[in-house]
Amino acid sequence: MPNRAACRLRLASVSLSTPRPLESGLAIEVRGLTHSYRSDGRELRVLGDLDFNVEPGGYTSITGASGAGKTTLLTLLGGLEPPHAGCVQVGSYDLRLLSGDDLAAYRRSSVGFVFQHSGLLETLTALENVELAFTLSGTSQRRRRHKAKTLLSAVGLSERAIHQPAQLSGGERQRVAIARALANRPGLVLADEPTGNLDEASAERVVALLEELHATSRCTLVLITHNPSIAARADQRLLLTGGKLTPA
Amino acid sequence: MSWRDALALARKGVTRRLGRAFLTVLSVALAAALLTALLTIAQTGRTEVLRQLAKGGPLAGIKVVAAAPDPAQIANDNARPGPPKDLGDDAVRAIAGLPEVDSVVPVVTSRMIFLPPDPPVRADTPKQPSAKVPRFFFETMVGVDMNKSSLLPVTLLAGRLPSAESLTEVAVTTGYLERLELNPLEPEAVLGTELEMGSPRVFESLGDQPLRAQWQRTVIVGVVAQEAAPGQVLAPIQQATLGRDWTRQSDAEPEGDFSIPTSPYSGLVVVARGLDSIGKVRTQITRIGYSTSAPENLIASVQRYLRVIEIVLASIGAIALVIASLGIASALLAAIRERRREIGVLKAIGARDRDVLRIFLIEASLIGAIGGAVGTLAGALIAQAVGSVVNGYLIGQGLLPIDLDLSPLIIAGGVIGSTVLAFAAGTVPARRAARLPAKEAMGVV
Repeated sequence: MPNRAACRLRLASVSLSTPRPLESGLAIEVRGLTHSYRSDGRELRVLGDLDFNVEPGGYTSITGASGAGKTTLLTLLGGLEPPHAGCVQVGSYDLRLLSGDDLAAYRRSSVGFVFQHSGLLETLTALENVELAFTLSGTSQRRRRHKAKTLLSAVGLSERAIHQPAQLSGGERQRVAIARALANRPGLVLADEPTGNLDEASAERVVALLEELHATSRCTLVLITHNPSIAARADQRLLLTGGKLTPA
Repeated sequence: MSWRDALALARKGVTRRLGRAFLTVLSVALAAALLTALLTIAQTGRTEVLRQLAKGGPLAGIKVVAAAPDPAQIANDNARPGPPKDLGDDAVRAIAGLPEVDSVVPVVTSRMIFLPPDPPVRADTPKQPSAKVPRFFFETMVGVDMNKSSLLPVTLLAGRLPSAESLTEVAVTTGYLERLELNPLEPEAVLGTELEMGSPRVFESLGDQPLRAQWQRTVIVGVVAQEAAPGQVLAPIQQATLGRDWTRQSDAEPEGDFSIPTSPYSGLVVVARGLDSIGKVRTQITRIGYSTSAPENLIASVQRYLRVIEIVLASIGAIALVIASLGIASALLAAIRERRREIGVLKAIGARDRDVLRIFLIEASLIGAIGGAVGTLAGALIAQAVGSVVNGYLIGQGLLPIDLDLSPLIIAGGVIGSTVLAFAAGTVPARRAARLPAKEAMGVV
């Protein structure tokens, strides 16, 4: 298993080999955010009047019991759905005002997602999964292949480029997902329990990789986790409970 | 996302569930095969029926005879001609100059005396005829320009047509075989046999037996079915003209089996520019002063029935294709249910609704195109197989085999039609996929 220093070196080489710097971290400003779901005909309030900030390039962990609304908060920050009420400002984007293609463009250019389930397309190889993010941003075929290889190499998986997700371990899948999240040079990386399905060693490696990404790219990292020791490593630690955020 | 990238993703999507993809493609292929086979068989049947009606000539062929028109018969397919009327080059030029006439082929007939060989078949023919061969018989030679045989109602049954310039080659009809009590189903038996023929002429100075003939030895090179003019021997036009000119020099009108011709041409085969022009051209030729006949009413009537058959057969194939398309829609809906999270992930990393729509529409079209291509090929093979069976039967009956009419239009229609139908069938599932919310990526409902 490569150590953190090795990961840092590789990520640094990604930065150096690309002419355009990674997008600098995006500030998050949430005011009066309220969100609810309709279930069995009843309104189920998940988030209630949330206020919080994340500094540009900040590293924030959010913990909370299952069903507390952590993932919902992430879907709102990532522009996967519009908030019902309140203001979500990410960098210069006011997410209340975005919809359709604009929201897709925001996700494509500014957000990198790392899901608990990795979210890799099973029919594509590791390399093709990373390439997919470049494909959606309209990068030429030759350039995206080269960039995807570089990113896979950065997460230590160049040997596994032609393997499909089913042939990879859980940790490897998450590293491919991190490489894909890096593809857009996002200003904001949202990680939804990325270690939830991993053993301790793999979890440590994945978190280390995310932290290296955060350190070298200066992106803003919001990490949702159940693991207190991982949450404790963040600069800002928040606890979501009863639809409210409090410092952990 | 470009169409090319969408195609690459769609291709992966199709192969994701190989079994399901195979079954879906198979259903489209079977429908396309059915449609192709039915249309090919219908088209072939139509071509063959019309060819039979046209007696091997062009469908828009009109026969003109050296006779004035009978006003009461003008609209009839087989109009009875009026009194004889000379048909010469002036009339040919006038008819050829009509705006909707494509070509004019003159026909010259000559009444002749024929001396068949004894035996009248080739030496290597295993079965010799038992009947007695007549020493001679009177028959009509039909002379046409052999270079324009494709414009004439002439069908080659065995051997070949006489060379256009030859004075020693002829073809005979099955009527000749029947006259000699030969089996018309074995036309090859007379190929290569010699046939002597004489053009008669009356010499008044010879008293009681004034008839003399100018003799010519010819070889039978082919057996044909022909409707250019009544007659059992088909020859290049020069042969018939020479015989006719010789007979025309008779001093007196003969008695019995022949008369002295006066018209330079016995008739014409006029080809109109299309089936729709036949009636108009016939009217114009009637105005010029000659009697015509053409199976236009029969062809129009038969065509109507053939069209109904084609529509019925095409509808059966189309229904099968629609059912297959519903299969595609069902398979895609199932795929979308399975891939909700995958679609959500695509959107989470930046795919627009139209990117997702494009991927699924291409998936549907791919299934349709592959199924259509395979099915059309299979349909063509099925039609070939059916054609072989039919030809086996026809040949056994002594009839000409059919040529399968596998139109490029049917092939292109099979593939393109399947693809378009599949595309249409994929529209609803693809729109549903495109409308899935991006939050599906998180598993949040």
